[in-house]
Amino acid sequence: MALPQGVTDYLNDNAANNGLQQPVSGDDLFKAGVLDSFALVDFIGVLETETGIKVPDSDVKPANFQTLEAIERYVESRKG
Amino acid sequence: MKAYITGSGMYVPEPVITNEEIAGRLGLEAEWIFKSSGIRRRRWADEGTTTSSLAARALTLALEDAGLKPEDVDYLIFGTMTPDRFIPGSSPAVQKALSLREIPCLDIRAACCNALYALQVARALVSSGTAKHVAICLAEIQSAFLDLSPEAGALSMLFGDGASALIVSSEKTDGALSILDIHLATDGTYVDDLGLRCPGTEFGASLVQAGGDEQRANHNPRMNGQSVILQAGRKMVNACQTVLQRNDLQATDVRWMVPHQANANLLAQVARGLRFPTDQGGVVSVLEDYGNTSSASMGIALDTLRRSGRIQEGDRLLLPAFGAGFTWGTGLCVA
Repeated sequence: MALPQGVTDYLNDNAANNGLQQPVSGDDLFKAGVLDSFALVDFIGVLETETGIKVPDSDVKPANFQTLEAIERYVESRKG
Repeated sequence: MKAYITGSGMYVPEPVITNEEIAGRLGLEAEWIFKSSGIRRRRWADEGTTTSSLAARALTLALEDAGLKPEDVDYLIFGTMTPDRFIPGSSPAVQKALSLREIPCLDIRAACCNALYALQVARALVSSGTAKHVAICLAEIQSAFLDLSPEAGALSMLFGDGASALIVSSEKTDGALSILDIHLATDGTYVDDLGLRCPGTEFGASLVQAGGDEQRANHNPRMNGQSVILQAGRKMVNACQTVLQRNDLQATDVRWMVPHQANANLLAQVARGLRFPTDQGGVVSVLEDYGNTSSASMGIALDTLRRSGRIQEGDRLLLPAFGAGFTWGTGLCVA
């Protein structure tokens, strides 16, 4: 399942704003500096809007959004 | 019966502590402290200063602002995490200092949400006819409890000392704010992510730091910064949306956001999450000068705004907060 364009656009814009390369498959988004705790809260808002899922507060933790693949898996699990 | 905030006051101790003065001791750089928190300086009281003494000064100013005398107060609520004594609470000391009548004096312990809890209780007391004028004191001397070693630098850099006071009354006066709504919530799952364990029955009732490193750490403030940021950013926005929806309002209908002064980056995030317009200075922040004064912070920000003369008749104010527990919520007022 590919992530919606708005989701990848957010991550790519965040990377560009921090002078980083666009994230690719397997990158740790936190270690790379694409996401941090503040950015994750904003990102989850984008993810909810773009995918239609609702992220419960208890799921708001970096492990669920560590990589592009982890984000895809998480979105699928919430849709399933 | 409606309830109104008819007076406010604030008082901070004189000693100003800049980032430059503490950065080395905390193992940090002064500019990093500012960039990560929005704080440039804070007040730290001299040793021996009591929390109630700050509160009494703030309450004196709030009573003057409301046009009241100490004998007019029917009920006193005091919110603090850093009381004068373990027992009793700090409100009796304020009752004595201001020669209030022999009224009920209630201490509350809802950390950085103390202002909201106190306003909710005060509103209920006034609305029910139990009291005509409720005095709220919100004060902290956190400097006395901070670990100033590099291991705790990123936490201790945040906190300042100070006091605020609010008067909640049954009759509207010039400049009063009508309390329209207050929403509060709690999730005890996060009880260990922010707070201070000891003294208490769970981790040891000893009032002194004794034992090994782990036990000594139980006497120091603790914060899971990532958890606080992630949960605070979400929960404060959700609380604001709840209150706006049940009052048929949009964020654009609100002129002022007067949040608990936790961290400038967090305040900006809450504004973004709400799509709250920030181009007219609507998010009130006193973080740069006073740091995070916990219980006192929302009242200090509100008093600063009220005394600036910028509030116009009909302006709506949102008052979001988040603190140890976790507990969080928001208030809605109109001028």
